[in-house]
Amino acid sequence: MKKLTLRQVKQELKYEAFLIPALVGLALFFIWPIASSIYYSLTDWNGLNPESHFVGLKNYIKLFQDSDLMDSVKHTLLYAILMTLIQNIFAVPLAVALDANLRTKNVLRLIFFAPAVLSPLVVGFLWSYLMSPNTGLFWSLGLHINFLGNPQIVMYSLIFVSVWQYTGWAAVIYLANLQGISQDYYEAAKIDGAGRWKQFLHVTLPLLAPSITINVINSMVGSLKIFDIVMAMTQGGPGSSSETITTILIKRSFTEYRYGYGSAIAVMFLAITAVISLVLLKYLHHREEKVV
Amino acid sequence: MTSVIKKKDKSFSLFNFVLELLMIVLAVFVALPIYYLFVTTFKTPQEALEHPLRLPTHFGFQQFVDAWNAMDYLNVLKNNLIITISSVFLVVMVSAMASFPLARRRHKLNKTLFFLILSGIMIPYQIAIIPLFRLMKTLHLIDSQFGVIIIYTFVFMPLATFIFHGFIRTIPTEIEEAARIDGCGVGQTFWKITFPLLRPATATVVILISLNTWNDFVFPLLFLQSRDKGTILLEVYRNVGQFSTDWTHMFPMLVLGILPIFIFYLVMQKQIIKGIASGSIKG
Repeated sequence: MKKLTLRQVKQELKYEAFLIPALVGLALFFIWPIASSIYYSLTDWNGLNPESHFVGLKNYIKLFQDSDLMDSVKHTLLYAILMTLIQNIFAVPLAVALDANLRTKNVLRLIFFAPAVLSPLVVGFLWSYLMSPNTGLFWSLGLHINFLGNPQIVMYSLIFVSVWQYTGWAAVIYLANLQGISQDYYEAAKIDGAGRWKQFLHVTLPLLAPSITINVINSMVGSLKIFDIVMAMTQGGPGSSSETITTILIKRSFTEYRYGYGSAIAVMFLAITAVISLVLLKYLHHREEKVV
Repeated sequence: MTSVIKKKDKSFSLFNFVLELLMIVLAVFVALPIYYLFVTTFKTPQEALEHPLRLPTHFGFQQFVDAWNAMDYLNVLKNNLIITISSVFLVVMVSAMASFPLARRRHKLNKTLFFLILSGIMIPYQIAIIPLFRLMKTLHLIDSQFGVIIIYTFVFMPLATFIFHGFIRTIPTEIEEAARIDGCGVGQTFWKITFPLLRPATATVVILISLNTWNDFVFPLLFLQSRDKGTILLEVYRNVGQFSTDWTHMFPMLVLGILPIFIFYLVMQKQIIKGIASGSIKG
């Protein structure tokens, strides 16, 4: 009996050995950095000097006095919420249209998905040119709006570009979900006298629940991390009207050499992301279960 | 009966016709910025301002040659390939291996570990940048491509493990059991039986992680200081910052910046779209 358990343990260990590289990586590149971020956030470390002093919660108190940072939290949330809503509201009908039996459907799919494979940095540079006053494409076509120079609209311009870039990505995920829906449901709905709109509302939309969960979480988590496109298009400007949490985090830490303070921003960022992800996951799973 | 079907078909095709027109118009608007980028590189500043959307009247390649040289293009392209291919290879190995016990031995410990790995998908990697910087300094991996490759491997490991895990769970265990009866050890079973069956999931992971590493510029920006070790996007970032007002220099660089991935997309679009869709839905 004892011998058998020993053999079983040995075999379990052989399985667990496959986890070693992943766990070493997880410990070194996730758990340790997060733990040490929490530690640094309680110090005044400047990143250069090996010495640092324990300052308690001082950095956290400073967070709330840093008006640029507080604005950047607002910008990031505005961006993430609007981006998630608009992207998904456009992507569902786009996917339904791409699923229809159109002659050009392959070319259409190719075009709508194309922006998503391009680097956000290059996309950002391109659009900042298109949107620039006097020489930009929109200006020369008669649309005299200073998209990136006006603090009131700069965030919306960034959202517009991101919607342009990533709606196709979300649509492709909806499309795969749509193709998995059995035609029988539609036949049954037709027999019940449901028109195109009712079919969409009562058959398509509820059965898209799994991909709605994936897409909403994808765009929310992805949007909170927004960085490249801001660096390419505005560098956080004009003034600080398009700073986001990540751009402030990088500036405070690497440009101003305030690693302790930057770590406090990182911990706050982690808390915001964790809360939003958990709430979303819970809500969407609950919704999904109600549907199925 | 036949007349009913015919009638329906007719209304259907009218609806489809209108839908198709609408979609084509929309597609033109979506494609416009990319079209504009490509045609403008061939125009003189004068021509670009007066006829922004017209096809260029002549095709000059001097501006591309200049951009190519300024970026040291062949070198950065080579660097990009090294970084992306190595990262993708390591991500596939580490994640496929990790997902095997997680999917096949579902006891409490492994369920906890799976949850821990999954939370890595949600956590924004930017928050780890400062300690990572220190860690890489201690390991003497600053300004080293290997350092960037290792970081990518573990930044993308959670997502890849999630995809592999979901896929292994759909494979029946009987094949593995048969192999065990034939005398295969745990390791042999995985490498000879399970891993080859993971091909569709591997394709998804390869596509997703290739796009993500190829298009990232944050880690090279922070961890690669020497210019000769940098990537395409790093060159774009440095040069465009310098020439931001002189777009006759900027546009060819942007084109060179997206050209490899654009060609890759045109050639592989079916597999790319399929890979992304299936990878997201399966889990």
